[in-house]
Amino acid sequence: MAHATEAPSTIAEIVGAAAHLLPEQAPLHTFVHHNTLHAFEHLSFDEAVQRAAELFGTEPYQTESAFAEHLRSGRILAADVEAVVTGDAQSREPSSPPAKGLTRAHYRRLRLMNLFEVPRGAALHWQLDETSLLRRVHRIADASRRRELQVHADLRHADAPPGQREAAMLRLLWRRLADATPNAAPAAPHPMRRRDQLIRAGGDDPDQRVHPLLIRLTAAFLDQGIATWPMPDRERGLLDAFRRIYGRPLNAPDAWMRGMAKELRLQAAEGLDAEATILRALDRLGVPAAEHADYITATLLSLKGWAGMMRQFELRPDRAPVEPRPARLIDFAAVQLTMYAFAAEHGLRTLLGAGADWADLELAQPEERPRKDLELTYEAFVMAQVAPIDLEAFDDAPAAARWLDEVRAFGELDRRRLLHRAYERRLRHTVLDGIAAHSRMPSGAPPKPTLQAVFCIDERECSTRRHLEEAMPTAETFGYAGFFGVAMAWQGLGEVQSRPLCPVNVTPQHYVTERALRPDEEQAWRNARRLRGLGVQALLRSSRAMTRGGLFSALLGWWSVVPMIGRCLFPRAAEHFLHKFVDPAKREPVTRLMLERKGDERDSAGRYIGYSVEEMTDVVGNLLTTIALTKDFCELVLVVGHGSSSLNNPHEAAHDCGATGGGRGGPNARALAAMANHPGVRQRLRERGIDIPDTTWFVGCYHNTCDDAMTWYDEDLIPPAAMPALAHAQKAMASACALDAHERCRRFESAPKNGDVAAALRHVEGRAVDLAQPRPEYGHATNAYAIVGRRARTRGLFLDRRAFLVSYDPTTDPDGDKLLALLGAVVPVGAGINLEYYFSFVDPTGYGCGTKLPHNISGLVGVMDGHSSDLRTGLPWQMVEIHEPVRLLSVIEAEPALLEKLLQRAPEMAKFIDNGWIQLVAWSPTDDRLWHYTNGAFEPYEPESRLLPVVATSAAFHHSAPGHLGCGRITASLGPAPLATTHSATTHHTDRGQR
Amino acid sequence: MNDPTISGLITTTLAAPTLACAALALPSWFGAKLRERVISGIVGAAFAVAAVASAAALTLLLLSGEPLAHLSFGHWFDVGHYDFHITLIADHLSLPFALFVALLVGLIGAFSRRYLHRERGFLRFYLLLALFGASVELVALAGSLDLVFFGWELVGLTSVLLIAFFHERPKPVEHGLRAFLTYRMCDVGLLGALIWLHHTAGTTAFEQEHAPWAGITPVADAGAAMLIGFLLLWASMGKSAQVPLSGWLPRAMEGPTPSSAIFYGSISVHLGPFLLLRAAPVLMQTPAVAWSVIAIGALTALHGSFVGRVQTDIKSVLAYASMTQVGLILVEIGFGLHYLPLLHIIGHATVRSLEILRSPSLLHDHHHLEQAIGRQVARAPVHVDKLLPRAWQPWLYRHALERGYFDGLLRDFVVRPFLAVWRGFDRADRWLADLLAGRDPESPPPEERAGGAR
Repeated sequence: MAHATEAPSTIAEIVGAAAHLLPEQAPLHTFVHHNTLHAFEHLSFDEAVQRAAELFGTEPYQTESAFAEHLRSGRILAADVEAVVTGDAQSREPSSPPAKGLTRAHYRRLRLMNLFEVPRGAALHWQLDETSLLRRVHRIADASRRRELQVHADLRHADAPPGQREAAMLRLLWRRLADATPNAAPAAPHPMRRRDQLIRAGGDDPDQRVHPLLIRLTAAFLDQGIATWPMPDRERGLLDAFRRIYGRPLNAPDAWMRGMAKELRLQAAEGLDAEATILRALDRLGVPAAEHADYITATLLSLKGWAGMMRQFELRPDRAPVEPRPARLIDFAAVQLTMYAFAAEHGLRTLLGAGADWADLELAQPEERPRKDLELTYEAFVMAQVAPIDLEAFDDAPAAARWLDEVRAFGELDRRRLLHRAYERRLRHTVLDGIAAHSRMPSGAPPKPTLQAVFCIDERECSTRRHLEEAMPTAETFGYAGFFGVAMAWQGLGEVQSRPLCPVNVTPQHYVTERALRPDEEQAWRNARRLRGLGVQALLRSSRAMTRGGLFSALLGWWSVVPMIGRCLFPRAAEHFLHKFVDPAKREPVTRLMLERKGDERDSAGRYIGYSVEEMTDVVGNLLTTIALTKDFCELVLVVGHGSSSLNNPHEAAHDCGATGGGRGGPNARALAAMANHPGVRQRLRERGIDIPDTTWFVGCYHNTCDDAMTWYDEDLIPPAAMPALAHAQKAMASACALDAHERCRRFESAPKNGDVAAALRHVEGRAVDLAQPRPEYGHATNAYAIVGRRARTRGLFLDRRAFLVSYDPTTDPDGDKLLALLGAVVPVGAGINLEYYFSFVDPTGYGCGTKLPHNISGLVGVMDGHSSDLRTGLPWQMVEIHEPVRLLSVIEAEPALLEKLLQRAPEMAKFIDNGWIQLVAWSPTDDRLWHYTNGAFEPYEPESRLLPVVATSAAFHHSAPGHLGCGRITASLGPAPLATTHSATTHHTDRGQR
Repeated sequence: MNDPTISGLITTTLAAPTLACAALALPSWFGAKLRERVISGIVGAAFAVAAVASAAALTLLLLSGEPLAHLSFGHWFDVGHYDFHITLIADHLSLPFALFVALLVGLIGAFSRRYLHRERGFLRFYLLLALFGASVELVALAGSLDLVFFGWELVGLTSVLLIAFFHERPKPVEHGLRAFLTYRMCDVGLLGALIWLHHTAGTTAFEQEHAPWAGITPVADAGAAMLIGFLLLWASMGKSAQVPLSGWLPRAMEGPTPSSAIFYGSISVHLGPFLLLRAAPVLMQTPAVAWSVIAIGALTALHGSFVGRVQTDIKSVLAYASMTQVGLILVEIGFGLHYLPLLHIIGHATVRSLEILRSPSLLHDHHHLEQAIGRQVARAPVHVDKLLPRAWQPWLYRHALERGYFDGLLRDFVVRPFLAVWRGFDRADRWLADLLAGRDPESPPPEERAGGAR
């Protein structure tokens, strides 16, 4: 990370460095998943989450009470806790044994298995005064320990009446520990802004004055078309526009703004640039130069959503939804600090009188008196009742102090760090045991495939593929990043502008569009659509205008009751009606891709218009060799892109295909199919040794993962000979989609839970068009694994829609070149998705954007909570609520030695993996051995269980159960090959591995 | 007229939502956990019943040819010459409004079952929604201003609690409190009006004179009539977010979207005009009040339209659009119109709540609109800002962005002096108490000393 090294010196550098800490979310229409803590990737995962938690005030892991619930429910087992404590380097550190026979590891294990809430402040005193804390042994101590303590009390406090010995023992214990307890460390000296000082001294929060105005101003500046009256002079940049608008006399009457207009006029007259303005504000605030960096960073972070959006507009003007702005983060900082200086000065005057200065404020800070760390006493007190310690040992003050040290050394963060490990370990065992058992079981010779289908690696296609294989056991499926190697700028029929359909880090070099076969048809279609669009626009505008709105709503408004009834009561039927009778888009003309480029034509942006035959051959050849589909082609090869369409969902784009940069992958699939059908391409492929027979036809498809609809492209081009195969494929695919919908429904609490597949399909269709539905689909919420390897080896393994499935054949890749390229593409995308879900789940309001219910779209760029809040970034709770926050478990079908060599060749990826942002597992290409990459080396994996449930179909396995499921073997997709019945002895059908 | 069928029907219209509240509140009070389906089912069914009942009552009333029907529940209490009569009224104003309210609340109830699914405050939302619906029905069907007051207060309370629905964040609570203060300040108008009506006319019951529907009894004394008129106007200004009390409306968009739709898009903000429609006789009687209604309405419409243009988030845009239309409705009422404002209320409320319900789909809709039109959605061709002199633009823009400075002006010139006066009283009171108690007024009070020593 370049930014983490040198201390920035100039204001511009400081702002630039601070920018890395701001959310990197683009405007919502191009939502791309990324690691929320991307700026911390140079650190190890644990260091990063803890440091970020400190900086942003967020949660690094799940809460301790959540982990306690996982321990209770069996999601984390004692064996997991045992393993992670033993495996943790800190537990092995030498320590003076706190008590005879109690090692550090033993203590930590006990502590993790006995989670309890440590009360703070007044709650602690209340517990001491009002509860049985000092009278009865704590309830978490187990029965044998209770007896032990009883015996101890009877012996030691024999002089007390029998009923009071327990209390006497506990009071003595508390006193001994409290006496040995040191003072609490003073709260770390935070970069104190004037705001913090004002609040601590009892004043108002100046941010509360600055933020509403700054939000209004920034939103107006960035606005992409919600306001009908654009901000004047915004083409001059935020700072200049601010000065022009707020620098006029007769300013707002708010007391804190007094004098600001004059200052702004002065700034303009002196021609101060943003840097000088910031310096001037810092000077007003009396901030010494040494603190500039911290001060500016903290100030920007106080409104990080909007600051981050300014930065995004500055860095990527091309991603602006409608039009770019001359946005600069430094302008934003200048505006913010100028306002803030006035608000803080006003706060100072109100608090300490008109003549006060900053020195007075520093004097007015309340003194922090040292106090005993009673929370530590409490924790040590409870743990002394749990751990096998002779309480008499505490009579010795140094021993009591050692115990307190031991307790303190294993603080909440450390506990959560280890519990997180344990949580991950359980899931790792679930899937790795499943994989190992599955690959041990013999499957018969695979049937000769009659259909091949290439899907996106997305985990939502994991179940679609499985269902297709079940519906049609002769179908063979592949996984490849959903842009299928066609990195293009795409402009569909009627689209206003082109958009890139490729991974975000790629800049497309090719522009592809489509044309109607019959121009007259296109024109008619366009006209009808345009007419309707203008009608809708006129309605929208007039309802908001004054006079037109009056006429419109008074005379016709009550007609809205009809759509209202439809939308509220019958969302699916209402949408179907609209689509059928009102929407002319359904008569979309037949189109062709403008794919082939003969010469060297380029568009205005310098991109090639289309692909040359040679380039197409490269794209197709690369895809086919990567997924190892170079021979035995079937009559039909499907290429299935995906996306998602939903209403009531500002985060709609977050459900689209990540590999197309948050776009919909249908056009990519269609383009790839068209390329592969091109006679010239086939000729050249033959020269490269890939012989696609003339009887083979590629068909592009588009899978809408929200309503499980499948669109088939260019059906009119399919040769008649392939029609029977097409009919067969369409039938199987329809069945797979319906079964997929059925499987998805088990996760939706409000979905029908019977076995009715048709009802399930209707249900998901309804969800996609329902204005009231905050969970149109669960997106990537189940992501947990990535498996890079041959599908044949995972075929028939139920992975619960949780795995990115990447096709890779190690037998064709001895040097690992293909694998390295694959990992380079898959790891960042998969980890980005996975980590964004991790953070949005562990802190739904700090990293995520909270609940969707009050969201309010601002400026077409993002959402606010309600009326006027910071721009909320990350994922909404409704999207992540069923997620399990684990780091992506990547299982690679390759020998560990080869992987080690590859990691040496790709140091950046190696660092990412060594820092623990993903989990890495090597899977032997020849047998069921697995190696887990820990501490820089591959260690053989020991399965816990060799059992794997065997079930005929996925539906029979998941049984519409609502929770996450473990692995299972689905025989339907394994075809009619004889199942080794002898192995049924090692399976148990009842336990579906459900948690 | 006193038709028993109509009486039964309007009783049902009011009773069904009230019973729904009880059906939700009582089991929960005793700790029972209701399932989401049960909760939304109760509320949906209650308002469906209310809608059917009010529709039937309206049909019967129209068929009967009578202008109105009274239903008396006897009186609650009487003191001396004062007698609190509980009467409901069915006329051309109350029944369409009651029908429309029942329909809308029922629809929102159905909508929210999916929208609020798995939300922790699910029951709270529905309880408040049902209570709100019942209170609006009470306002609609009340036969006297006394009874209106009960419904009016409950509407205010439920709106405030729904604005502050997400009470774990400070802003919703702050904005709820703001709405609450505005409401309470203006409720004084309603209370004052009904006291003064009792004082002068002896009754607050609605009687039919010449208008198409019943209204408050005209007062003989012109001065009293004017006072009552202004008090009622004041009362309606708060609920309907009229200038200069409009600052709370955009801030109220903090709750879940469906509650914003029904409260601030449709029903709640239209209660002011409804009250003024009931007060039509007084408006007719005193042109000064009528002209004030027109002036306030027109100013609000202009303000809403002007400020709405610069709003950059969809819910604020819709809030200001609502404000504009409510202002226009006030103008219509001021001109003595009856059916047009009623039609305008119902039409506008429906359009606006649907728009708010659709607001989270804005990005989706924008994209589709752009595709359909075939170019980027341009701003409307002619706008006020184009007509303004260039030099004034930043100044006027700031005026709009600061929402007419009403918030700041109110704070500095109303709230602050008000607080100062009462703080002065407080200080005087303490000083006096200390003096009488023989303490030295200059020394700090005992509890402060104790606090300081700890």
